[in-house]
This record gives sequence, C-alpha cells and structure tokens, in this order.
Amino acid sequence: MPHEISPVSDRANSVVIVGAGIVGMSAAYFLSQAGWRVTVLDQGAPASGATGAADGAVSVASKKAGPLMTLAVAGAQFYQDLCDAGVLDGEFVRRLTYVVATEPNELPVLDRHATQLREAGVTLRALSKAERDQALGSLAPTTRAAIEVQGDGHAIGYKVVERFRRIGGFAVKRNVAVQGLWRQAGKVAGVETEQGIERADAVLVAAGRGSAAFLDVADVIRPRKGQLIITERGEGIVPRFPGPLMSCRYLISKGSQPGGDAPAGRSFGLVIDPLQTGQFLIGGTREDSADGSQTDIEAVRRLLQEAVELVPALARLRVLRVFAGIRAATRDGLPIVGRLSAHENVWIATGFEGDGICLGPLMGRVSQQLISGAHVNVDISALNPARFRAEAAA
Amino acid sequence: MTDRSESFFWNGQRISFEPADTIAAALERAGVTDFGAGQGPCNARYFCGIGACQACVVSVGGTPAEACLTPAQAGQQVRTLKPVRQ
Amino acid sequence: MRSMDVLVIGGGPAGVAAAAEMARSGLKVTLCEQGGALGGAIHRQPGNPARAVPVPRAQSARWHKLSALLAKTDAEVLTFHAFIGLDATGAVLVEDRRQGRLLVLRVRALVLAVGGLERVVPRPGWHLPGVVTVGGLQVMMKVTGRGPAGSVLLAGSGPLLLAVAAQMTALGAPPLAILERSRQVLSPLRAAPLLLWPRYLAEAAGYMRRLMQAGVPWRLGSSVQTIRPTDDGRLETVIVDGAGAVSRIVVDKVALHDGLRSNSDGLPPAAHATDRNPHVVLAGDCREALGGVAAIADGRNAAQQVIARLTGAPPMSSASRRIVDTERRAQQALANIFDFGIPDLLKLPDETILCRCEGRTVGALRQMLATDDQPSPREIKLNGRIGMGSCQGRFCVEWAGAMLAQQTCSAQPAGAEFIGNRWPSRPVAIRSLLGPAVADAISSIPPNESD
Repeated sequence: MPHEISPVSDRANSVVIVGAGIVGMSAAYFLSQAGWRVTVLDQGAPASGATGAADGAVSVASKKAGPLMTLAVAGAQFYQDLCDAGVLDGEFVRRLTYVVATEPNELPVLDRHATQLREAGVTLRALSKAERDQALGSLAPTTRAAIEVQGDGHAIGYKVVERFRRIGGFAVKRNVAVQGLWRQAGKVAGVETEQGIERADAVLVAAGRGSAAFLDVADVIRPRKGQLIITERGEGIVPRFPGPLMSCRYLISKGSQPGGDAPAGRSFGLVIDPLQTGQFLIGGTREDSADGSQTDIEAVRRLLQEAVELVPALARLRVLRVFAGIRAATRDGLPIVGRLSAHENVWIATGFEGDGICLGPLMGRVSQQLISGAHVNVDISALNPARFRAEAAA
Repeated sequence: MTDRSESFFWNGQRISFEPADTIAAALERAGVTDFGAGQGPCNARYFCGIGACQACVVSVGGTPAEACLTPAQAGQQVRTLKPVRQ
Repeated sequence: MRSMDVLVIGGGPAGVAAAAEMARSGLKVTLCEQGGALGGAIHRQPGNPARAVPVPRAQSARWHKLSALLAKTDAEVLTFHAFIGLDATGAVLVEDRRQGRLLVLRVRALVLAVGGLERVVPRPGWHLPGVVTVGGLQVMMKVTGRGPAGSVLLAGSGPLLLAVAAQMTALGAPPLAILERSRQVLSPLRAAPLLLWPRYLAEAAGYMRRLMQAGVPWRLGSSVQTIRPTDDGRLETVIVDGAGAVSRIVVDKVALHDGLRSNSDGLPPAAHATDRNPHVVLAGDCREALGGVAAIADGRNAAQQVIARLTGAPPMSSASRRIVDTERRAQQALANIFDFGIPDLLKLPDETILCRCEGRTVGALRQMLATDDQPSPREIKLNGRIGMGSCQGRFCVEWAGAMLAQQTCSAQPAGAEFIGNRWPSRPVAIRSLLGPAVADAISSIPPNESD
C-alpha cells in the first residue's frame, strides 16, 4: 500500500506550514490526516498567491520530457485517486488536451513532443483534418496539425485549497507574515512572525516566491509573471471544444520545447481553455517581472490575436477580466522539494512555476511522507534542494 | 406602417424604433420586458440604464452588447443571448 | 483624433464642467461619453427634443449654462466612447463602440467622471424582468420621452422616488404608489436641518404638489419585501407597511432605489502623475455621490487640480470646494430623513439572489460564512463567485460585504477588497481590442445566426 502513513512519534507531532497555496494546504491536509497538529500561516489568505491566479490545467501534455513529465503523470493520477476517495470529488475532471500547430516550423515541435509524451506512457493520437473538424469545429482552417492528449484534467487551484481547508481539521492563520525560522537550544522549534513565535516540531516552507528567504543559495527562485484573460460565457456564440487548445508556441514559451525567438524577458504561449462556466480562459505570458498587479494592453492584444487566429469565433465575445499572477520559477526549471540540509526538521516544497496546480496535491502528499519519515512513493531525487548548493560549490 | 429603414429584428420579430433610440428603448416601446436567457442563470432584462449592471446584454449581430447603450440600427438582428432552451 | 493633454471620461455634469474649465485654460481636452449625447443620468436629453421630460427649471438652467460653456471651447467630444481602463504602461484605453475599436491614448491627465451607482438592496425577486432601478426607469423616460407602460410601483428610499414619480405623472403615467421605507421623512425634528437648503425643499414641494393633484400615494414606512412572477407575466409584490401589515399587489413594473453611492471600484485610483502614468483625478458622483450641483463644482475642482499640475498655475478660488462641502452636508441632512441603512441581510430567504450575473444566492454565501474561520473578501469572491460576473461586483459586493460584517460583527470591507481596480473596468469586445482591421484580416467570422 504505497499511501500508508507511518505512525507518528510523540516527540514530533506539530508542524507549521508557511504558505496557504495549493502545496501548503495539500500538505496540511495529509499531515493532519496522519495525526499531526498542523498550523498554516499565510501573509495573505488561502490561495492569494499563484494558486489563485492560475489556469487550472492539470496537464501532462504541456510538460518537458524528463522528471517533470513523469511527475505530472503521477500528479494527474493522484487527483483521480483523491476524487475516487471522495477527497476532491467534484473538484477535478479528466479531459483531453489538444496541442496544435499552425505554422510550418511548429510541425517538427509537435512531432517531437508527441514522441516524448508517448515515451512517458501518455496516450495520444494525431488528428486528421476530418477529426479536427469533428472534435474542434471552431478551429481556423489554417490549423496544420493537432494531437489529442489523454489523461489530462482540470482543477481550479483556489477551489482545491478551499476543499482542503473545509475538510482539513487544521488551523489556517491569515495575514501572518513569517519572518524566519525560530531556534531554541540550537534547533529549529518554529517560526518567527510579526505577531510572535509559532512553535512547532517541524516546519514546511511552501511559500512560493517567499520561500527564497529560507534557502541558503541566492537567486534560485525567480518571479515569472503571467497575464491571463477571462472572457464572458460563450454558449451559443463560440462552439465548445472538449479541452484546452495549446499552441506549440506555448511549449516553447514554457521551455518544454526549445526554439522561439521571443525577446528576453517576455514570451507568449497561447492556451485557450474552455472553463466549466462556459467562459474561456486565454493565456498567457511568461515575463521576468515581480509586479503581479499589472497587466498591459500590448500583451492582451497579442494573446487575443493569437487566440482569434486559432478560434475565430472568439472575436464575438467580450473580455471580462485580465489579471496577472507571479509564478515562482527556479533557475533550472524544476521544483524544489525535500529537507533543507542545514536543518533536521525543516522541509521545503516550492518553485513549481506554472505546474503547482498539476503537482500540488501530489507534492503535498510527498511533503507529508517526507516529514513523517514515511516511504516516498514517487521519485523526487531531481527536486532535491541541495542541488543548488552543489552547483554553487562547483 | 413601419418600413425596414426604421425597424430591427428581435428574435426574428420586427421592432420599430425612433431616431436615437437604444435597443432597450425600442424594446420597451414594443412592450418586451423579458430579454430571455442571459449570461448567467437569470434572464436578461433592462435594469440600470447606464451600462453598469450588464443585465440587459443581448446578442447584437451575434455579439453580446448592452441593449441600453447600443443604438438601434435598421435591419439589425438582435436576439436573446443564449439559444432558447426547451 | 488629435493630440491631447487631458482626457475626461463621462459627459455628465462633472465631466462637462471639468472639460469646459480645462479647455478654457488652454489645455487640449477630449471628453468621452459612453452614450449618444452629453448630460449624464441627470441631464439626459431625449432623442426627440419635442419630448423632453419636465425637470425643475433651475436644473435645466444649470445644464444649459454648462453645455453652452463647453460649446464655446475647443474641447473635442467623442460620443459612444466608453472607458476601459488604465494599463500597466500608463496607456488609457477607450472603446469606440460605434467603430468597434480600441483607442490607446497617452495623456498627461485623466479625469474620471463616470457617475455614481444606484443601490438596490437584495430581496426575493429583485432580479426578475420588470424590476428596474428608479434611475433606470428615469433614463428610459428621458430617452423616449414617454412614461412607462402599465402599472408601476416605486419603492425604496430617497428623494429620487419623488422626482421620478412626478415626472411619470407629468407624462401621464403616474405610479400606483411610492413606497418610502423611512418613516422619518416628515419628522420636523429630523427635517429641520434641510431648511438650510431651500432649493431642495422647493424642489420637493413641487414634486409633492404634482403627486397630490394626481392622487399618487406616498406611503411612509412601507417597503416591498418580495417580488414574484405571476403566470400572466406580471409581478406580485408583497408589501409591509409601517404598522407591519402585509398586503399584496400585482403590477407590471417595480422600480427600486435605496440611495446612490460612489462608483470607484474598478477604476484606477486617484494618483499623481509618474514617469508612466497620467495624473488621475476622480470627479463627481463616481468619487462621492453628492448629486448634480456638487458634481459641477467637483468637476471644476478636478479641473483646477489638473490645470495647476500641468500648467503650474496657482490653484484658483476655493468656491467650488465650498460648494461640494455644502452639498455634502445637504446629503447628510437628506440621509437623516431617508433610510439608506442596510437591513439585516442574514434574515433574507436562502433563495434570494445576491449576485444576479452569476445567480449566487444569499443562502450560498450564508453557508460560506458559517465557519469559525472568517474568510477574506477575496476568498468570498473566488469561492462564492461574488463579484466575478460581468457587472464586476457593482451590484453585489456591497451586500456581500455587509453580510460578512453582520455575520462577524466586524467593519464592512470596501468593495475594492473584493474586486480591486483592474482593467477592463467593464466588459470589452475582443473585436474592439484587436481593432476592426486585425479582426477582419484574421478571418471573416462564420455567422452563427440562422438568418
């Protein structure tokens, strides 16, 4: 039974989690289930960072081949397991993802990505023109090729967080900014906050960009802003399609495939996501910026132009909202999950960039397994926080 | 008698209008109060008159628009926003 | 489009006053109005001038003077142009709704004078077709020059109910009754401070004379509690009077109004110019809902601020500021006799619609609030979908905030805590954002209409 939780010793039974995003709240749930006394601290409110500004894609289709793709397969499966177990039922749906090529130079990108997905065990098929028309009737005729990827899903980050909060059996403290670790007798025994000391036997840092202060190597976590657009409902105006459309440029923008000549500092990768409300989410940018409150017309126009090129009927809708979020990206593009080597009782789970929704529950479970000293049932060796120290020393 | 130059179509039905009428004003004259299925679960209707509440959004030539801000135009196809549900 | 120094948004009294004053000082001013004509809600002009709705003489004189002042300047007026927002780069975004295109403007100053909002306290059935705001009913009369068809009930609180009832009466379509929630309107003790503003008293006396002649009852202490649709497409209202007696009456229309409020949620905040951003000033009812006289003075205040900032001219007289202060006291005196308080929303039936756009109910929010763990406005928004619909919270976040405050006995959060001040400040057509040329070049969109 891979999910079995080892018994907790009496000595280590309280944990404080820094950050009430999807990773921290998932970990809080699993630790609480495992018998820990859990307190989650957030400088704002649950899901007030990247989790609340994410697109909700539980996507294997977009991942870079390697550990991230493998973990994404496990992450999507774990969502399914949690649904079947009644933990996240109603908050996750399986759906197809479509990766499309419109430019000639995107065709080899699409081919290579399809091969890599197959090698990771993902089921997919290339769609003929007739199949494209049938499944995605609203696509522009200029579309050159598309693959249909199975095994993806959709979950709204803030709703997952809210579910964990409701069923969790742990405390969430809002508006508590953590200033650092608190030591007693040479050992970490909690965290210091503006409101005082929060004692705990173990600390899990899942604070996204705010996690950087807990790492002993500088410039590992970098802000990567994303701008997203939400339209009004499209029922009767834009023909529905069964899952998100992802351009090959999205893969390039995300770094999942090499290529592209976007100027440094800002890239665009189109995703058109049909939301369950009937609205469409259109994303997104990747920008080297930490200003999450700001969106600009140039980025919005460019995203909309690409979206309408792919699905012309979208031009009939209106934009309801434009917003930006700040992803916590890492220097090497892989998350950071594991124990901080300087401390025996401080763990970290951060740096998911745009993959926090996909990997959040799984990494929450992994965090619980790590902290409980239980067997970790997925390979997280590539996510070891110590890799940056080694790099710095070299 | 109305001719085409001063009427538009509401769900296929001819609605006459006067110069400077908005779609909402013309529908009001014609006694149309319920604009049918709207963007959310509530039916569309005229409400605030200043484009703020979004309750009067209808399909104007296939695109959602506020009836209270959109000038009526001859021959225009104006419809309930969503296809009529059976 | 020409180069400009200042963009003024909103062609009501505040915007027109600001535009005229700044243009007179030599600044290049462009004024954008979302509708087809200037005037705003208060001075809206009919499509057919022969059908003007009667308004108090002093009110129309103010508008004639103001519009004549603007006409003498070289200010540019753009109708059917709606404000969309101020983006991160400091670009002002305006949708030209007739051409279906977006203007991306760089200006030195931006004056926002988009007007106030009517408050409509939720009650069962307020979301039904046939239920309008009193201001919405008035706009319709002013535009069409005709009173509403069928039987109409006006309900809520405030002087606007009287004004609109009198205008309906003058157009030969008197309401069945005015239900005024406040019992205190005629209380001499409470009304005494209003003697300082004879203009308001004279205006009210004129309205009441007309209503009395027509036999329109003004029922104090009465309110509409519930509205239900009837089988024949009318509305059954449940009315509770001052003595607590319940009656039912079937009407064609119900017009509701529970006061006016400012409308700055979703607008960029007032701010001094930066390297990127223009100087931003809010003026008139959108900044603070004080009515038409104050709006003109507040528009002038805004203009003087901008003139001082852009030309280095010393601030002019403080007369306009004094008018705004005086009008604020007048509004406070009015609020003292009317009833703009928020009733106990927690007592509303579960099925009462709170957010019309998304169909969210009082019961759903009540359930969200029934935890030891007090959710933040942002969590209420995200998980309760309050403020996420197309009106962007303008008609629900005040009530959601009130429910939160009533449940937790805490201070009511500002609307901006739910919805912030992001652009677009209103839904904007993707076609306009792309521009017609781009939209057409991308594709000829296949029609989805059968005819």
